[in-house]
Amino acid sequence: MIDAGARTVEQVLVDLGINPIEVIVSRNGRLVPDDAVVSGDDEIRIIRIAHGG
Amino acid sequence: MSGQDLPAGMSRCVLCGEPAVARLRDPARHLCAAHFTGFFEERVSRTIADGKMVRPGDRIAVALSGGKDSTALALVLSHLLPAWDDVHPVAITIDEGIAGYRDETLRAAQELTSRLGIEHHTVSFAELFGKDLDRILAGREQRACTICGILRKKALAVAAGRYGATKIATGHNLDDEAQSVLMNALRGDLPRLIRDAGRENPCFIPRIKPLSLTPEREIALYLMLCDAWKELPECPYTRYALRAEVRGMLSKLEYQHPGTMLHLIESKKKIERYCAGAQVPAAIRRCRECGDPCSGELCQLCRLRHSLG
Repeated sequence: MIDAGARTVEQVLVDLGINPIEVIVSRNGRLVPDDAVVSGDDEIRIIRIAHGG
Repeated sequence: MSGQDLPAGMSRCVLCGEPAVARLRDPARHLCAAHFTGFFEERVSRTIADGKMVRPGDRIAVALSGGKDSTALALVLSHLLPAWDDVHPVAITIDEGIAGYRDETLRAAQELTSRLGIEHHTVSFAELFGKDLDRILAGREQRACTICGILRKKALAVAAGRYGATKIATGHNLDDEAQSVLMNALRGDLPRLIRDAGRENPCFIPRIKPLSLTPEREIALYLMLCDAWKELPECPYTRYALRAEVRGMLSKLEYQHPGTMLHLIESKKKIERYCAGAQVPAAIRRCRECGDPCSGELCQLCRLRHSLG
C-alpha cells in the first residue's frame, strides 16, 4: 500500500525512481494507463516487465 | 459501462467509452482492453504485410522460448495466421541448458502450445553440441550472450530445417531492435545491421520479426489482457551483457524523449536504403570445416568452436 495522495500513476512511479515505460500498473486489481489518478486508499500493484523472452 | 460513471481518476477508451487500460502516443489516445488488443494485432498484421514476411504455403517456425516476447508472438500468430492462405505455425523451443531458468520457461512454452493447439518441438544444446550452455560457459560468463547467440542461431536453423519450416519467426520487439542499432554503433560495427538485414539467400531459411515495431511494454500489456502473462525468472547471464546497460539507457531516453526507439529503427532503414545500390553483397561460400553457408572461410559456429578450444 502506497500513500499516493491524489497523483497520477506516472508521478507516483517517477517519485519512486521507476521508469514508467518499464512497468505496468494495476489500481485496485484493474490495469490502468499511467495518467490514471490514484489516491491514498487505492491499492497499487507495480508489475515489472521482465527481460528476455 | 460506456454510459456509466467511471471510478474517479479513470479515463475512457476514445473508441467506445469503456475504461481505458492504455494511453498510447502518436496519436495520443486512450484505449480499452478490447480496442488495445485489436490495435496490437492489427499493427503486427501490418508489419507482416508491409515486410512481405509471409507467403501462401509457408510453414512458420516460431522460436518459442516461453518468455514474454515469444509467447506474445505465438499467441498473435495463432490469431492472425488462419486468415492467411495456407500458412501454418510450428513452435520450436531451444533448451540451452541454463540451470534455474530454462526449466520454467520450457514448461510455459509447453502449456502455451497445448492451449493453442500448435505443433511443438524442443531441441537442446546438449543434443546438438554435446554440452549444455552452463558447461560451455564455465569461466567464460562475460561472453555468455555472444556465445549463446551463435549457438542458438545454429540450433534454430537446424530445428527449422528438421521440421520443414520455410521461415523462422522470432519475438524481437521494438526495444530489442533499437538496442541492437545502438549496440552496433557503440561497438563500431554499424555495417553489421545491413549485413544481417540483407541476408536473403537460398542457403538460409529467412528470418522474420513480426513484433519489430511493437514496444516491449505493449507486449507485456497484451499478454496480461490475454491472460497469458507469467512472472518468469530472468536469464542469469543477462547481467554480463552490454545489452542490459543499453536497455536501461534507451528506456530512459524513450521516456524522456518519446519516439527515440522508433527513430533509431528509422535511421537503420535509411542507412539500408542508402546502401542498397552501392553494397556488393559478399559471395556466399561454404565453411571449410562444416560445409554450412557463410561469408568467410569459416562459419561463426566453427570460429566459436576454435575460440573455445
